[in-house]
Amino acid sequence: MTSPSPSSRKSLSKIACNRLQKELVEWELNPPAGFKHKVTDNLQRWVIEVNGAPGTLYAGETYQLQVDFPEHYPMEAPQVIFIPPAPLHPHIYSNGHICLDILYDSWSPAMTVSSICISILSMLSSSPAKQRPADNDRYVKNCRNGRSPKETRWWFHDDKV
Amino acid sequence: MGADTEPGKEDRCQELAKSSSFHHRIYSEVEEIGWENLVKLGDDLTFLSFRVMDKNGRVHILELTLEKTYPNCPPSVAADVPYIFNLVWSMDSKLKDVVLQFQRHLEKLQEFWLTLDDIDKTLWIAVPKHLHSSLSCRLINIGDDCCIMLSLNAKDPRELPECRFLGSDAKVHHLRKKWRINGKRCMLPIDRIKDETFTDNLAKILDMPLPKPPNKQKNDNQIECGVCYAQYLPIDDELGANSGSGTDYTCENSNCSRAFHSVCLGDWLCSITTTRQSFDILFGNCPYCSNPVAVRIAGGK
Repeated sequence: MTSPSPSSRKSLSKIACNRLQKELVEWELNPPAGFKHKVTDNLQRWVIEVNGAPGTLYAGETYQLQVDFPEHYPMEAPQVIFIPPAPLHPHIYSNGHICLDILYDSWSPAMTVSSICISILSMLSSSPAKQRPADNDRYVKNCRNGRSPKETRWWFHDDKV
Repeated sequence: MGADTEPGKEDRCQELAKSSSFHHRIYSEVEEIGWENLVKLGDDLTFLSFRVMDKNGRVHILELTLEKTYPNCPPSVAADVPYIFNLVWSMDSKLKDVVLQFQRHLEKLQEFWLTLDDIDKTLWIAVPKHLHSSLSCRLINIGDDCCIMLSLNAKDPRELPECRFLGSDAKVHHLRKKWRINGKRCMLPIDRIKDETFTDNLAKILDMPLPKPPNKQKNDNQIECGVCYAQYLPIDDELGANSGSGTDYTCENSNCSRAFHSVCLGDWLCSITTTRQSFDILFGNCPYCSNPVAVRIAGGK
């Protein structure tokens, strides 16, 4: 399926561990609506269940997000992908990679897993059509060697969806 | 039988169509306000809360509850303000209009909050410990085991506030007298022209210097680092002299005041391309409020 990205293969630093434990506690106290964290003993890889918001194209559908944290989280963004099958969306590639600026260039340590989840759900909710990005096949072919989406140079050209 | 179920089915279809147009409407109206401003969204979309910033950078949460018949009836509004505004609603109104009206309401309240900021910064607040934007009361310690309870008028914060005195009879009696005599003279509208603060006026009325907040209050505030979420860095040789140290940097924007370890903030600033460096100082922006920040590079002993 998806191999761990080079950046997350190294184990978490003490600082990253501490911060993630606190994020997890906060998540359990106050989980974002529509999401469920699947409990594992792996702090470095979270698997999160996403339920499409009612009244949107994805209502009633369930997907899984895989969140991998780099050694120096939160200095670096986590790697977030959908575990295939990924939802049909103009910004989501069939291999699960997501074109969303906050996962790459616009990341900041003021964000959290929870705030990422909310952004992803709102991206899904505002989708006008269930379709793949125009360059899906080319992109997915280029990623065959297990490349992380964080190594892609993304173009954030569309701020409407 | 068939004739009975058919209309039932139609009703169900109509109901679904209605609910789907409701959802569409809400999503497009949230879009107009901006998804980044949405804080919470109820499962059936009848509850929404938005983050709204006023012109002085204070962040407010506006909560809206919708009826299923929306937009036929206006949303009900709740927020962290001392009094709520009268929502003007017509058939063409949208959620964006509620936000705009709320922003106008916030404008009106600026003087009230500025007055409270002055009080909170200069005086020794006994209660409340956790300040909330909707509160217009403060219990203030004025020394000598005396307290005063001030209630500001949110609509006109410069008006002489309601004041109750707590303490020994003799002292309270003395203070009441001062309040009665001086109260009318100070805090008159004319004082607005002069650049006198509320707390200056208060000291004049009571005819005594008012004690400043004790330093320990600083520690009551948020002290965890906004990057690593810990108060103390781990004990780690890699961190050298910073191993185990507490937060030592605070964002200067008084509405943000996030605490950081300068090591953490510096590490973050080093990892992004927009940061500038001059000698061993990094210049960048607070990750929370984007206010400019400047930190010394870690390890520059």
